[in-house]
Amino acid sequence: MLDLIIVGSSAAGAAAGIWAARRNLKFKIITIDTGGEVALSGEVSNYPGVIETNGFDLAKKFKEHLDYYKVDIQTDSDVKEIKKEGNVFIISGTQLGKNFEERSKVIVLATGSKSKHLNVPNEKEFYHKGVSYCTVCDGPLFKDKVVATIGGGNSALESAIMLSSIAKKVYLINKNPEFKGEKILIEKIKNLPNIEIINGALTQEIKGGNFVEKLVYEKEGRLNELNVEGVFIHIGMVPNSQMVPQDVRKNDLGEVEINTKCETSLLGFFAAGDVTNVPYKQIAIATGQGACAALSAISYLNSH
Amino acid sequence: MAEQKKVKIYSTPSCVYCKMAKEFFAQSNVEFEDVNVGVDQEAAQDMIKKSGQMGVPVIEINGQMVIGFDKERIMELLNLKK
Repeated sequence: MLDLIIVGSSAAGAAAGIWAARRNLKFKIITIDTGGEVALSGEVSNYPGVIETNGFDLAKKFKEHLDYYKVDIQTDSDVKEIKKEGNVFIISGTQLGKNFEERSKVIVLATGSKSKHLNVPNEKEFYHKGVSYCTVCDGPLFKDKVVATIGGGNSALESAIMLSSIAKKVYLINKNPEFKGEKILIEKIKNLPNIEIINGALTQEIKGGNFVEKLVYEKEGRLNELNVEGVFIHIGMVPNSQMVPQDVRKNDLGEVEINTKCETSLLGFFAAGDVTNVPYKQIAIATGQGACAALSAISYLNSH
Repeated sequence: MAEQKKVKIYSTPSCVYCKMAKEFFAQSNVEFEDVNVGVDQEAAQDMIKKSGQMGVPVIEINGQMVIGFDKERIMELLNLKK
């Protein structure tokens, strides 16, 4: 049986893997891909020691570091369930359509988060038919079209800025009266003539035929329609925590609750990074937490 | 590989799953044609028509369309070992 299984291999999982490898633990990483949300980030300019890079290249560096220590990484694996029987954790899921099961004494959960959906009518039906959660991926397909970005944080602001250079017009639909993102981005947006800001607007529905044609929003009790061909949704993230055992306590947002040692409410089950209730979701914080969770896991293994 | 199938990837330069797919092809010694639909509007329309959707990547393998970096489906169509 393995000492440790790390679930996930983005910032937190990679760091946990490096620390575990240097302690010669018998362990593996089980993950969908190596990179996760880090790989999907655009420009990264706040990771200490690296003045400017992008998420994809940074994620590759993490992978190189794991490969240097010959870490066993089981990729393409969707973990469906983690349960504890006695003192053993059993992880099960599917890898490229086939079932797998693994056992370990300790778990470090580093599964991160994924884009939040609006949950409005037709959002699902128009996914990739005008609805997108990734402006950097799909944005270039909307050249000279009218589009909308939904959200008020940094990723929504960055989405609108990118789209303003591609699309004819960008509506920026923010449910709050003001933006939550950084001032520098807000100023930039205000100076871009083809972005129209609509604050205090709640998206109600997406309409169309084969592709998106309209967006319906409510503002001050009245419904309004916009003719748009693209809807880019950037309203935050939800944690990938659905597979954890019932005894692992989560908060209202579904984040796994941890203490300063990255311990959860279940003995032997540690968690790190964006899947947890750590207040700031940053790459630098997630790597630090990955190290913390690995060290706590090692300490637990030594005393049990 | 016994036969080289015709592989075309419709991508944008900033799309990470496109990069992952291209790296996967390179690692698997699969030759492919890369079409940047961010600049080639005609190819973009062609992709939308053939796949019925606007997300990238779209990967065409011998006329069959794969939407997204669906590794399982790609491996199946290319007869690559899992």
